[in-house]
Amino acid sequence: MLRRPSGRIGVAFVAVALGMAIVGPLLAPYDPFAITGGSLASPSVAHAMGTDSLGRDVLSAVLFGARTSLLVACAVSAIALVCGIAIGATAGYRGGYIDAALMRTTELFQVIPRFFFAVVVIALFGPGLDRIILVLGFTSWPSLARVVRGEVIAMRDLDFVRAAVAMGAPAGHIVRRQLLPNLMPTVIVTLGLLFGQVLLLEATLGFLGLGDPGAISWGMLAAQAQGFLRVAWWLALFPGLAITITVLGVNLLADAYAAALGGE
Amino acid sequence: MYDRTGHRRRFSGPLVLLLVWGGAACASDRFARDPATLVAAIAGDPGQLNPAITTNGGVHTAAGLLYDGLLALDDSLRPSPALAVRWDVEDGGARYRFHLRRGVQWHDGAPFSSADVVFTFEQMLLRYHARTRASMASSLVSVSAVDDSTVLFTFRRPYAPLLQQLDVSEAPILPAHLYAGRDPLRNPVNVAPVGTGPFRFVSYTPHSEIRYAVNDRYFRGPSALKAVVLRIIPDEDTQVAALEAGEVDWLFTVPGPARRRLARDSRVRLVRSALSAGGSNCITTLGFNLERPWFRDLRVRKAIAHAVNRPQFVERVLFGEGRAADAPISSGIAFAHASDIAVPAYDTVEAARLLEAAGWRRTGAGPRIARGVAGVVDGTPFTIGFKAMPSQIAYGDLLRAQLHGVGIDLRPEPLEQAVFAASVFTARDFDTAIGAYCNGTDPEIGVRRMYVTSSIAPVPFSNMAGYRSAEMDSLFDRAGASIALPERRRLYHDIQALAVRDQPYVWLVETSNLRAYSTRCHGFSVSSHFAATAACTK
Amino acid sequence: MTARFVAGRLLQVVPTVLAIVIIGFLLTRLAPGDPVLALAGEHGDAAYYAFMRERFGLDQSLPRQLAIYLRQVASGDLGFSYVYGRDTMHVILERVPATILLTGTALLSSLLVAIPLGAIAAARPHGARDVGISTLALGLYSTPAFWVGQLAILGLSLKLGIFPVQGMTSAGGDSTGVLRAWDVARHLALPALVLASQEIAVLVRVTRSSLLDELPRDHIRTARAKGLGEARTLVRHALPRAMLPIVTIVGARIGHLIAGASIVEIIFGWPGMGRLLLASLQSRDTPILLGIFLVVSLTVVLVNLLSDLAYAALDPRIRVR
Repeated sequence: MLRRPSGRIGVAFVAVALGMAIVGPLLAPYDPFAITGGSLASPSVAHAMGTDSLGRDVLSAVLFGARTSLLVACAVSAIALVCGIAIGATAGYRGGYIDAALMRTTELFQVIPRFFFAVVVIALFGPGLDRIILVLGFTSWPSLARVVRGEVIAMRDLDFVRAAVAMGAPAGHIVRRQLLPNLMPTVIVTLGLLFGQVLLLEATLGFLGLGDPGAISWGMLAAQAQGFLRVAWWLALFPGLAITITVLGVNLLADAYAAALGGE
Repeated sequence: MYDRTGHRRRFSGPLVLLLVWGGAACASDRFARDPATLVAAIAGDPGQLNPAITTNGGVHTAAGLLYDGLLALDDSLRPSPALAVRWDVEDGGARYRFHLRRGVQWHDGAPFSSADVVFTFEQMLLRYHARTRASMASSLVSVSAVDDSTVLFTFRRPYAPLLQQLDVSEAPILPAHLYAGRDPLRNPVNVAPVGTGPFRFVSYTPHSEIRYAVNDRYFRGPSALKAVVLRIIPDEDTQVAALEAGEVDWLFTVPGPARRRLARDSRVRLVRSALSAGGSNCITTLGFNLERPWFRDLRVRKAIAHAVNRPQFVERVLFGEGRAADAPISSGIAFAHASDIAVPAYDTVEAARLLEAAGWRRTGAGPRIARGVAGVVDGTPFTIGFKAMPSQIAYGDLLRAQLHGVGIDLRPEPLEQAVFAASVFTARDFDTAIGAYCNGTDPEIGVRRMYVTSSIAPVPFSNMAGYRSAEMDSLFDRAGASIALPERRRLYHDIQALAVRDQPYVWLVETSNLRAYSTRCHGFSVSSHFAATAACTK
Repeated sequence: MTARFVAGRLLQVVPTVLAIVIIGFLLTRLAPGDPVLALAGEHGDAAYYAFMRERFGLDQSLPRQLAIYLRQVASGDLGFSYVYGRDTMHVILERVPATILLTGTALLSSLLVAIPLGAIAAARPHGARDVGISTLALGLYSTPAFWVGQLAILGLSLKLGIFPVQGMTSAGGDSTGVLRAWDVARHLALPALVLASQEIAVLVRVTRSSLLDELPRDHIRTARAKGLGEARTLVRHALPRAMLPIVTIVGARIGHLIAGASIVEIIFGWPGMGRLLLASLQSRDTPILLGIFLVVSLTVVLVNLLSDLAYAALDPRIRVR
């Protein structure tokens, strides 16, 4: 995977993003909430990404914002992973009525437009990171469930599974020990793409002002740029760039991994 | 679709598209502008066009041209005749008799009379217009029609500010014959309005535009403009772009970042005023919730007042449009504004000293810790909340940075308008909050409600701090009952001195409105009838 | 594709629609605070709320409330927006045409651009063109729509002055007929371009991969063996069948597309549902937000249904059944 240039670039980008999230706040030159420069100053040595209308450093804000976005994306992916595997494996392995019922449920959740659902939920229940994570988590699992189900169905008639059944192994054991390890690679690819989508969705919600008001997020920074597009292009450029690099990195990695799996 | 050169054909799709897009982009920008039509930009869709039932600035801005008040305020705030031609002040100011102009017609041809004035006040202004209600309702006995062209206001005791409250931006007069017997809030006439003003209603396309045509029968004579179009452009930057492109002639607000650019543009002129449809002479004020234990200590309130750097708000939040507030009453009310009262100056050393004395100790880099503060557990960090409507959250961000320097951790929380009002004024669930208190053109209109005990109510923009002082109440009663200017000036001076002494609020900045217009037009005024005397050339 | 098949698919849709409406109902009842606020907005007075409470049957048992709610939604009554003073349905419906114009234009444009690009990429896998196109697609797929929009405004509208900055029509324009259509088209160009860019990314990848699936097939090899040029083979024989997944993808992506349209509308001031969404968010006009959610969800269901039917109509394999 790392042999392809896309894989290498992907790793580099993801490393940058992770770095921003983990050590960013320590490396930030200023407190992102403090007034440290002139109002709407263009990028300079003192402020590599310029300042906003109050005079706060944009670079520091971007570094702090990494945590929020990545935290949400990771948490949502974790929820989606657990739900997706549970539902997909059960549906694929059991088949019959259970499969049909679970698939209908999956279809329902797949149809519900995530963005508008999140907007309504947050508007009704109030903003907050926990709300966002729950809403996105419980609507993001369908694609994973489908993939898992497909893989399980493909695998359940294979010899090694039949052998395990014949030996009397319980279903849960079979799924966990035999099937899951084999479908993990595909799941990881799907999860990677999901991660990127969730990050974009979280940024968009932040852009609309639905993010956690106490935390800095990239989407929120981009929203603040809207009123100053003409006089401060840096306010719009850098937060969006951070988002793009992160999502692109993850997508490149997922692609490279998929290509490596497919043996192309 | 397919031919020998199938390969090339596949490009045709995107190529055609590119051509169409390119063509669309390059088409000429300038549609012919009719010189007799004025186009103005407003930021929000007003929703309805009846300004007597709301103090919402958007509605007043959008609908001002349609109506008149009994009086008009000229640019130096002196009352002049509008729907009333003469008035007599009787009984030392407890009775006002207005003689109405004869021959005035509503836009639908019906005759205007005193019945319209009485109806508008009784059924709309006194019930639904917050400032009228807050100021007049308690001392007004009746508004009555003596005859078809005479109206009498009778008060319990002398009421000085009445003449300041009768222009179209405070008390527009609406037609009784279209509103009688129906709920004014849901009357369909609200979106197809009829008034007496210099322009009459033509059409209202929600979220797009509102169109007016000249009223040929206007009692001051028809305007030079034949039509006015209000375009709804929510983004302020786009409004500026539209002005610069010649698509729009008049802007009601100019966003800070664009100000310098427009000031240098020879095709644009800027005009500044403290008057505005949403309220005049506004002071953005920080309110303490006096019921919270940390704010009961005057030293803490004084410390915060010392820690605030007001010119920085003018510079960074208002982009230079405004001035630091130096007294509880706006400098726009010249007779009452006290310029000699010492409002706490920006002094972080003094702020730190006061906080230490009040029991809030510095321990390292974080917020101060309470040690021996009444009503606060020892060891509690000095972390306070701050609530503001989204448009004013920048104040919170700047305040946070300023208070951080003296060891106070401020947490700004943006709240939508309805939630803000419910949270701050009804539930009184806040530590600090910010609001724009518009003083109006007389302290009775917009200042009294901030300080009197009777104004502590679940009504938005009443006495936010919950300030109670018998001395203050009595001062305001005396000031409101007098009509002698020197006496009132003295009383308002005492009121301001008391307010500064007790510091229930921190008065941050006086905001002003900057308007911009294209030099192709001239003759504007800063009142609600901004375009009544305007004319445009090609 | 028989009538029975259509009827069967239609019947399958019913429980989904029902479930969506019930979810909407549950949301309003589960949310903290008085449900009447969620149904009637936060700006009313006591009399108005009493009226609304009665209209939605909020004093009755939960199952009865659900029945009332279902009946109302079925008859098109999505509540009353106090902010706009009108029925929610009317407020939303008057914004829908602008959104349809934007979304439709973007979708068509993206199809026109993506399919040829995907074909070019698939023609020579891993060649220079393929790598270039695929990377571009991945890049576009990874960028948030609001950033593309902001950059587009910065570069194309503000700096170069090619496109107008905002809105659907020029502020000073009083034009009608052809001139107005031209004005709208000028304003539509950039937002549609921005919205299309996201879809192009997805569609290019889908076209490419489904073509790559098609190309090894027998009938393609036969066509090549017959001596038809590579391009003609691709276009005439591979492309039609490779289009089938596109139909499904469009159906699956429609929710995402409408969401993207909302963001683009907000950035460009296009007077559609997206702007209504933002305004309603800021004024906490929950009846409108719920209404938009229901309308969009049902649209997604409808489009999925149509794309399923279209797929069945186009795919000879299903037709045979």
